[in-house]
Amino acid sequence: MMDLPDPQQSQRPDGATAAKPIVELSDVHLHLASAGGKVNILRGLDLSVNAGETIGVVGPSGSGKSTMMMVIAGLERPTSGTVRVAGSELATLNEDALALFRRRSVGIVFQAFHLVPTMSAVENVAVPLEFARIDDAFERARASLETVGLGDRLTHYPSQLSGGEQQRVAIARAFATEPNLLLADEPTGNLDGDTGTQVIDILFERAARFGTTLLLITHDRGLAQRCSRVVQLRDGRIVDHGNTPP
Amino acid sequence: MSSEDAASWTLAWRLARRELRSGVRGFRVFLACLTVGVAAIAAVGSTSSGLTASLGNDAREILGGDVAVRLVQRPAQQSEQRHLGTTGRLSGSAEMRAMVQSDAVGPNGARSLVELKAVDDAYPLYGALETEPRLSRQDLFGRRGELSGVAVAPQLVDRLGVSVGDILRVGDGRFEIRAILAHEPDRLAGSGIFSLGPRVMIAKSALAETGLEQPGSLIYYTYRVALPDSVDPEDWIADLNTEFPDAGWRIRRLDEAAPQIRRLVQRVGLFLTFVGLTALLVGGVGVANAVSAYLDGKTAVIATLKCLGAPARLIVRIYLLQILTLAGVGIIAGLVLGVLTPFAASGVIAAFLPVPVSTGIYPGALLIAALFGSLTALSFGLWPVARAAQIPAGSLFRNLVAPVRARPPAVYVAITAVGLVALAALAVVTADDTGLALWFVGGAAAAMATFRIVAALIAIAARRVGNLRQPAVRLAVAALHRPGTPTPSVVLALGLGLSVLVTIAQVDGNLSRQIREELPTGAPAFFFIDLQPNQIAPFEALLADIDGVEKTVQVPMLRGRITSIAGVAAETATIDPNSRWAIRGDRGVTWSEAAPENSPVVEGEWWQAHYDGPQLVSLDADVAAGFGVGIGDTLTVNVLGREFTATIANLRHIDWQTLSINFVMIFSPGFLEAAPRSHIAIVHADPAAEAEIERGVTNAFRNVSAVRVRDALETVNGIVTGIGTAVRLAALVALVAGTLVLAGAIAASHRRRVYDSVVLKVLGATRRNVMTIFVLEYGLLGLVTASLAAIVGSIAAWAVLRFLMNIDWVLMPQTVALTVIGATVIILAIGVVGTWHTLGQKTAPLLRND
Repeated sequence: MMDLPDPQQSQRPDGATAAKPIVELSDVHLHLASAGGKVNILRGLDLSVNAGETIGVVGPSGSGKSTMMMVIAGLERPTSGTVRVAGSELATLNEDALALFRRRSVGIVFQAFHLVPTMSAVENVAVPLEFARIDDAFERARASLETVGLGDRLTHYPSQLSGGEQQRVAIARAFATEPNLLLADEPTGNLDGDTGTQVIDILFERAARFGTTLLLITHDRGLAQRCSRVVQLRDGRIVDHGNTPP
Repeated sequence: MSSEDAASWTLAWRLARRELRSGVRGFRVFLACLTVGVAAIAAVGSTSSGLTASLGNDAREILGGDVAVRLVQRPAQQSEQRHLGTTGRLSGSAEMRAMVQSDAVGPNGARSLVELKAVDDAYPLYGALETEPRLSRQDLFGRRGELSGVAVAPQLVDRLGVSVGDILRVGDGRFEIRAILAHEPDRLAGSGIFSLGPRVMIAKSALAETGLEQPGSLIYYTYRVALPDSVDPEDWIADLNTEFPDAGWRIRRLDEAAPQIRRLVQRVGLFLTFVGLTALLVGGVGVANAVSAYLDGKTAVIATLKCLGAPARLIVRIYLLQILTLAGVGIIAGLVLGVLTPFAASGVIAAFLPVPVSTGIYPGALLIAALFGSLTALSFGLWPVARAAQIPAGSLFRNLVAPVRARPPAVYVAITAVGLVALAALAVVTADDTGLALWFVGGAAAAMATFRIVAALIAIAARRVGNLRQPAVRLAVAALHRPGTPTPSVVLALGLGLSVLVTIAQVDGNLSRQIREELPTGAPAFFFIDLQPNQIAPFEALLADIDGVEKTVQVPMLRGRITSIAGVAAETATIDPNSRWAIRGDRGVTWSEAAPENSPVVEGEWWQAHYDGPQLVSLDADVAAGFGVGIGDTLTVNVLGREFTATIANLRHIDWQTLSINFVMIFSPGFLEAAPRSHIAIVHADPAAEAEIERGVTNAFRNVSAVRVRDALETVNGIVTGIGTAVRLAALVALVAGTLVLAGAIAASHRRRVYDSVVLKVLGATRRNVMTIFVLEYGLLGLVTASLAAIVGSIAAWAVLRFLMNIDWVLMPQTVALTVIGATVIILAIGVVGTWHTLGQKTAPLLRND
């Protein structure tokens, strides 16, 4: 049984409609209290991302890129403003509902991979499918790993894999549930140039195949240019929304 | 449970199993803590079950029959004996204390107080009397020439230097020692483990030769009956009571075969269980620490799982299942150890308790131990698990995955609270003495709260100390309060373990002091029993001629049993457990015209001189409170087969510790005066005169037994010391658990220590400097913990002595000092050994990596 509702189905890029936004941020503020006083991390973000878009997010350290991504993933609650992702108004969801939302709609790839060290590659990929109570979780995980070129590494543990292989496992895991939205935070930050390129190729290939909306945080301008749009942040604000594709 | 819940548990178990595959490396202390605690409780439970089972299995042999009927100061009448013998086989015996002496020595030779038993031909009905050499009954006790035979216990052989073939003087009679007693099947049914002298056994038909059977002599006549299977003992007893309602005998069934020992086993078992429980509580702290440390290393995994869509509830389930699975392993290991302990302990127990341990598996005892272990694992493990589940998934984006120290959600706090309450309830429900168990639970909770609060105060104080000039001292003090410090858990766990040790050492020390030092001061040198009324005058005259005799007091004494209290049968009356002893068996009673000097009247009035009205009684105030009676209520007492009722006229305060002649009940003159009686006398004397007094009295009055108070106290002290050793050994288990927690806490902070020492070395500290800081830190921690444990342990000892044992408490400074110094050294040693190898850590690799 596949238990993945797909509210954005009609907006897949293979279809003609791509106009309905999958991510909508409206006047999002986030303050954190610290010993030195209030710190404004996000200062009124407005962003609209259409289904199927690939967005490169750039900006200097501390500009709020990662925080914005956490807000979109429902991992951080904004102080004010509205966040609507894949049809859900995140402010209305409690902790468990947010977990369910992520399970169904969002995949995340981290700079540091964050694989579970006690699980083999195939188990790592199967985890989100198991959370979604999909019966053939392991079949799908296996297939997913084969598509990222790791069919011969299924039973290897993270410690037995190279950095590039670990990130490919992470990508396979992020795409396993075929999410509407994939968030990637510096996915090549821990990889050398060639390996990084391979990983990014896989990432874009997967996103294109599933019609997944991709938000990619990077310091690499060249990499950002591979996206359909580049959004630039500075001091918690979007200073450049990039050119929205037609 | 909803279907989603079910799936979630299944999923949680699947994920838990995956994590468990990586081994139990982080759980060694967790497993050790649970194993030690559960093993302690299971061992105590199995051993006491084994002892109780022995008492049950061998009950017929121990009691000597299916039913035993005991009379004091009078044998059963012909009609009574006839009735006793109609249904089954009957065996009668008489037991008393007597003086014996080797005939080979003159009137100045050594003599000994013995427990004399005269048995008939039918003895024993169950089991076998074994002697060395083995002889027929006729050869053992029968007349050979002029002399009847006697069998003596090996202790008498040692004491008097006699051997088989020698002549032994028992009272007025002369007996030939025919054999040494090897096994007396019903030994435990008599005086139990407390006896004033070695056993000497003769034929009942030869008792008359001793001249000891005088009117009113303190002789116990026991009639044991072996009933056919077709007869229900209860029916038989009911019939006996109907036939002889006023006989005044004490009837014992199989389940009362060895009541003293049964009570001793229960009581010691209960104390040992409490000590085991403390070990488990200490282990619980270790469990919580181990789980916290394990989960601290799992924060990134937990955050990742949450990013992948796992709700906090699932995280709790995944890790709770892991914890419970490992707890299962620890508990099973503990149970196995617990089952094996009685096998190993039976030899040690045999040294001071004459009961074999029936080794085997006792599911009840094991189930209780397993429940204690499970509840401990749940109560102490859930908190850190629930807290870890609060790790924000977003922290992965910041590469700053720090353990969460927030309070877990209310539901888990509630479950933890329920677990702790269940733990306390289990301790109370499974204890034989609910009141005592409640005391223990309250005390343990108070002690834990105290240690927790003090740990917090230490941290606050350390923070407030401010800048000390000595950098090593400053860093050591700072280590007591910085984040992740092991201070709270070490103070709590080791503090608890040490407190138990201090408590036991002080209780034991105070008991020994009481017996060895305080009681003998002002205590009489001798009790003389079975003086006949016509022997009083010559007895006093004889003592008057001996130098060193300071004071002699003699009073008439009879034995009586309380049969009803304020009109309610004693067996069914509601009596405080602490006063129950007064209705168990017979008590000494006397009468007096004047109020006794040593037990002042605290309520009511003493009867007037030459009082001649209805029978009155003066009762011990504590016993009256325990009975729930007061002035004007009645007590019915059976003396020598006759019941009489007296009205309570006044209450006295009796200080039993003075060892003077004290009676729970003193009656007004009248009824008792006419009964056959003997007298009991106490003699205060210079120790140098003791030998002459004993010799003089027992030579002149061969029916009189001399009980040397010093010897009796030595016997009591021996028993107390034996029990004290057992409890002290058990306390060590609590200390082992505390040490495990310390080792665990040091292991958990190992990473920080390595870092500290590397950073300090980078900043120019020598290895010696670093070591000095560690030594100071652990020295401070040890000193504070041990000092606190000394205070808590002393308070607990005071409470136990004052409220449970009614004994004055005196601080034992040596014991306390030893504990404080010893514990400080242990903490210091473990701390230093645990951190020693961090000194050798090379700085470069660590700095490169980070």
